[in-house]
Amino acid sequence: MRFDRFSQLLAHWAEAAPQAPALRCGGRSLSFAETWEAVRTRAEALRAEGKTCLGVLADGSLDCVIELFAANLAGMQLVMLDENAPAALLRQLVAYTDIDALWGDEDLVEELTPALTGGVDDGEGKILFFTSGTTERAKAVVLTDHSLCQSAWNGAQKLPLSPTDTLLCMLPLGHVFGFVCGLLWGLSCGACVALGRGARHYIDDCTYYRPTAVSLVPLLLGFLLKQRAVNPELKLILVGAGDCPKTLLEAAGALGIRVSFGYGLTETSSGVAISVRGDPFAMEICPDDTITLAEDGEILIQAPTCMMQGYYKRPDATAEVLRDGVFHTGDLGRFDEEGRLHITGRKKDMLVLPDGTKIFLPEYEAALMQALGHTELAVTLRDQRPLLIYSGEGSEKEILAKLLPLMTELPRGQRLCGVEIVQEPLPRTATGKIKRWELQQKG
Amino acid sequence: MTRAEVIEKIRTVVFDCFPDMAGQDIQEDTVINTETAIDSMGFVLIICKLEALFDVRIPERQWSKLLTMGDVADAIMKRLPKA
Repeated sequence: MRFDRFSQLLAHWAEAAPQAPALRCGGRSLSFAETWEAVRTRAEALRAEGKTCLGVLADGSLDCVIELFAANLAGMQLVMLDENAPAALLRQLVAYTDIDALWGDEDLVEELTPALTGGVDDGEGKILFFTSGTTERAKAVVLTDHSLCQSAWNGAQKLPLSPTDTLLCMLPLGHVFGFVCGLLWGLSCGACVALGRGARHYIDDCTYYRPTAVSLVPLLLGFLLKQRAVNPELKLILVGAGDCPKTLLEAAGALGIRVSFGYGLTETSSGVAISVRGDPFAMEICPDDTITLAEDGEILIQAPTCMMQGYYKRPDATAEVLRDGVFHTGDLGRFDEEGRLHITGRKKDMLVLPDGTKIFLPEYEAALMQALGHTELAVTLRDQRPLLIYSGEGSEKEILAKLLPLMTELPRGQRLCGVEIVQEPLPRTATGKIKRWELQQKG
Repeated sequence: MTRAEVIEKIRTVVFDCFPDMAGQDIQEDTVINTETAIDSMGFVLIICKLEALFDVRIPERQWSKLLTMGDVADAIMKRLPKA
């Protein structure tokens, strides 16, 4: 069923299946009727407080889910923050997105409170997600509960769930893939959403909740398979947010699990194409979306129901990528003879990591250059992990020692896995740009 | 438990989780990401096993601050019951 608002979705299932389980988290469980009641009660309290923009330090808990639905119902703008990001960066983001109230870990809320602002006047329905990476250059993407509901419906047309399903939500709700494909996809189909209990329980969440479906980033899929941590009831895995080795998909398929691969961006409220049969990398376009290719193969998306409103306070950046309703992705693709989309590479100076986060290379490399006082370097991927290619004299140990303070500031997945020292200059184009494709092939 | 004993147990857990690393020289100052084959998920696995082994709980928000094996040992030592 297609919903326009979160409130409509919750109210519908509270009436249609009041006693059906909606949310589980550890030993706690709420039916749809209880969820809707909890959301309405909390929304009343939030209205009374009079705040306008809530920063959610998303921990994926049941209370977190209630809070964000309630804040939306209360007409507040929501900003999804990564609670594991460095506090200094979070303070900047709080100020940048006009947050006047915070929800999350008490100590962190206290630390960030001095950065609170006066709020917003026009935040109703808006939900801001940061483009994954959450680096200083990360932009806040303005989505709405309407666009997110449409995205969930769009995906469910290709991969429907039923009210008897349990969807395990292991991904962070602060990322749009986790929010839509870990939470909304299930709720909009009337399925139960089991909220993952954090990284500590990656290894036993499947055996604890016994889900029938789960959305994963490639890194997590690899982990679950390697640790044999999937349950026999699991029949569907949706993989997205990063490049996935075919061997992983085949390994999951060998267990009798249907594996689909999805392609989408934060800017399109998550998936626009999903594989549903045969080759897992051959993706069918979702019903609301139109995808074409530019002359150079760049994937262009029209997603009238799911497209972002723009980057928050960044009309310049919005205009660069969203022109006449067409989003220029920076990804390269091709269509097969059946019209299915295949991703072939990236045009942007960006690495997509298997945990779904992105490294914006110019910014990342500039920070490395500053720390090392050396400009002839570039970053590429080796075994899906960031590797520094350093052209010049020096030892790996010396270089890494100089970079240690910088590495401390980065999420673990974005830290360098090593340094390759080369004597020859880096391969460059006639205009001086690094030939990243060439580096990647060597890596 | 002494710090040296904690480090030794960390080594055992690492080699248990990553048999390919057996025999590798892991010292206090070994940087987890760059000097080992341990990726971010491998790190989660090791921390969970260490928490169970030492019966301690290191808050997830602290995990990203643990860069070296010595940092991991410090985090465990800090939470061990006092003798």
